[in-house]
Amino acid sequence: MAQNSAGAPVPAAGSARSRWSGRARAAGLRIGGLLIAILIVIVVFTFLSKPNTFLTITNFLGVLRSMSTIAIVALGLTLVIVVGEIDLSFGYMYGLASILIGVSWIVWGWPIWLALILPFVAAIALGSINSFLVTVLRIPSFIVTLGTGQLVFGTTLLVSNTATLNPAYPPAGKVVPTGEVEWFFGLSNQDLPLGIPMQALWMTAVAIIIGFVLSRSLFGFRLKAIGGNPAAAELARLPIVKYKFAAFILCSLLASLAAMLDFAFIGSVQPNAGVGLLFPVFAAVIIGGASLAGGRGTAIGTLSGALLLAIIANGLALLSAGSYLSNFVSGAVTIAAVVLDRFTQSLRK
Amino acid sequence: MTADGTASGAGLTIEGLRKWYGDTRALDGLDLRAAPGQILGVAGPNGAGKSTLIKIIAGETGPDEGEITFGGSLWDPRVDPGRVAVVHQEPQLFPNLTVAQNLMVGREGTRLVTREIDPAERELMADLAILVYAGRPLGEVPLAIQQRVEIGRALARDARIFLFDEPNSALTQEESLDLFRRMHLLADAGRVVVLVSHRIAELAEHADRVALILDGRCTTILTGEDVSQENIAAGLVTGQAEREVDAHVRGAIGEDAASALRLSGWTHAGGEFDGIDLRGRVGEVVAIVGVEGSGARELVRSIAGFERATGTIEIAGRAGGRAVVSGTGLVSADRQTSLFANLTVAENMVVRLGREITAAAGALRPGRMLKIARDLRDRFQVRTDSVEVPIRSLSGGNQQKVAIAAAMVRRPPVLVLEEPTRGVDLGSKREIYRLMREYAGEGHALVIFCTEVPEVFEAADIAYVVSDGRLSPPLLVADYPDVEALARSVTRLERHSRPTHEMLPASA
Repeated sequence: MAQNSAGAPVPAAGSARSRWSGRARAAGLRIGGLLIAILIVIVVFTFLSKPNTFLTITNFLGVLRSMSTIAIVALGLTLVIVVGEIDLSFGYMYGLASILIGVSWIVWGWPIWLALILPFVAAIALGSINSFLVTVLRIPSFIVTLGTGQLVFGTTLLVSNTATLNPAYPPAGKVVPTGEVEWFFGLSNQDLPLGIPMQALWMTAVAIIIGFVLSRSLFGFRLKAIGGNPAAAELARLPIVKYKFAAFILCSLLASLAAMLDFAFIGSVQPNAGVGLLFPVFAAVIIGGASLAGGRGTAIGTLSGALLLAIIANGLALLSAGSYLSNFVSGAVTIAAVVLDRFTQSLRK
Repeated sequence: MTADGTASGAGLTIEGLRKWYGDTRALDGLDLRAAPGQILGVAGPNGAGKSTLIKIIAGETGPDEGEITFGGSLWDPRVDPGRVAVVHQEPQLFPNLTVAQNLMVGREGTRLVTREIDPAERELMADLAILVYAGRPLGEVPLAIQQRVEIGRALARDARIFLFDEPNSALTQEESLDLFRRMHLLADAGRVVVLVSHRIAELAEHADRVALILDGRCTTILTGEDVSQENIAAGLVTGQAEREVDAHVRGAIGEDAASALRLSGWTHAGGEFDGIDLRGRVGEVVAIVGVEGSGARELVRSIAGFERATGTIEIAGRAGGRAVVSGTGLVSADRQTSLFANLTVAENMVVRLGREITAAAGALRPGRMLKIARDLRDRFQVRTDSVEVPIRSLSGGNQQKVAIAAAMVRRPPVLVLEEPTRGVDLGSKREIYRLMREYAGEGHALVIFCTEVPEVFEAADIAYVVSDGRLSPPLLVADYPDVEALARSVTRLERHSRPTHEMLPASA
């Protein structure tokens, strides 16, 4: 990445050297660098692992499925990061969403379609509360979402009674219609041609939508402007409050969607689900090149970040490397991505 | 310069100072001499090199050429900054420590434990009338007291040069008087005192000599009888403006032209201005002139709705907040807040647009965005071959053109510009004035906040001077044959509303 043409200085006013925008070039380099990193990791694991374990279609499809939860949540977080805010509550939203589905459907006996609406209503509520505190009361989003995350987690424990729920084994006296169970599991578990995992399709759909939003829509354009320079955005009369509401709500909604799909795939839910999402989701966004200072971030970048993390986790698991090594590597990769970013940026100047 | 009565050798002497920032020349062979026992006033328009000079004397940056001597021997402020004390508008101290602790910071000695204030420091605080505040955290005491603490710190380390950089722009009248009294005391005690200020009246009042800085050089030194407001004002603008637009073009706006902007009883929520009545006609460029703290900047920002004010506002015949939002646009003085560094030139140009650049489902129309941007680039003569380069790759003047273009593209009936050509080269200045004139000619009104008279002279039809939150009678720019005459009038209006300065006892 470093020895790439990133070293070319920004063309001075009046020169004809630049054919395409500096930012597009920078983003292109970022993605290019990530793809190279992914290729290197693939080559390394191919040689380290036993033959026909790592570099197989089955394993690759497994990686796609395992990255999809993180990718879907991270795509939502990317919107919040681009607009210059932080959301730390998405993991707890994920947990609340799965428990709400489980409790309302299995314990309260709601029909499945109604039980599936509930988490999204909760997501809109959480996103609204977060953005209200951030925009209207002007409390830093780090503090707001640190707090609301705990409130949400407390709610999850309260609602679930800290019990694990499984529609196949409903609590005594409750019955879950088998048709509903089949339909619900079908959201994530379908026999698709070539064994393509259903969750990967969901992830692709979300990525296409968020990709369009960020790079091709007025919403995304203004999101970047607001995140890049909030003071200028205010003087330009951009709809800052509205857009921050939208970003926080979309982030919570996608966390709920990921929770629903995981529930359908795994078949059961626990109240502490989602607590471990904080690191990998942030890491995917950061490795993907989004700037925590706001104004910068792409769907393809975040997706590649999630893919890199998933390949590393998968490869290390195949090597039976032990979980501590996985932590070492993903932590180091996250920091290295930002270091490389700084480096290429200083070259560009 | 040698005829100013300064004994050679004593005091501060600056010779041939040059400083470049990239391609921009900030200082161009500046000579200056400040004698002990005198107050040297320094005046100059924005961008003339004053702040660079202050930074060099304070040791924050070094010159590319030239030398500084103090007391007859060569002095490098970067090596030995203890000799100089800079008193800013915002004191640069430790707000979380007490007044007494601030006085001691850096001189605590080798002990790690805190020590008591010694008798000398107690006396110093008594002299500065800050002893009663000794135990209070600095952040909780008034600004004027904080400045005295800053002076005290410098006195405690026996600084010989006191540099006051716009020290009283945030002080009340009384606090200012006290500060000036202390400046005179410092000078009387044989210190070198330099006062950098925009306020011509105060320079005339308090300085023994006044140096005028233009384009990185000291162009004029006024001494003795010559230190007067009129001379300072005229010296600052000489050769600084040439009228591009013929006077008759400006005079052509009739009394009966429709109003684009009307203010009545317009009063700032924070008390910066009070009971303003103002009218801006279609086709007119209205300049609001005033020094920092006069209320002029707040007035101008309030017209675009970015300062809270009460009273009636009418934009293109419609009253109220909605009319302001849809009928005005603001370009701030600072490009940090008028441009988006993470966006390209083209994106900056169209960032205020919505429907014009979108198709169905909120999808952007990149082709249309580029077309709009390219048209604007050609019309505004923004020097760049591609509009898809980062905004930072443009020069300051071209960036400013982009900022103004971005506000004009929505065609608000009233366009508000704060210091439209601050930090902009001469060529871009002309083009920006031409664009403003064109925009006015297309049936809009412009309100510009100016701190420099040449800008008023070149760009405006009508000017109002704001001082102490009140508006002067209008000055018709076309009535003035040259910029010096306009500068004299503006200065007179700034002075007239400041009667308290006239009553100040000479160096009490």
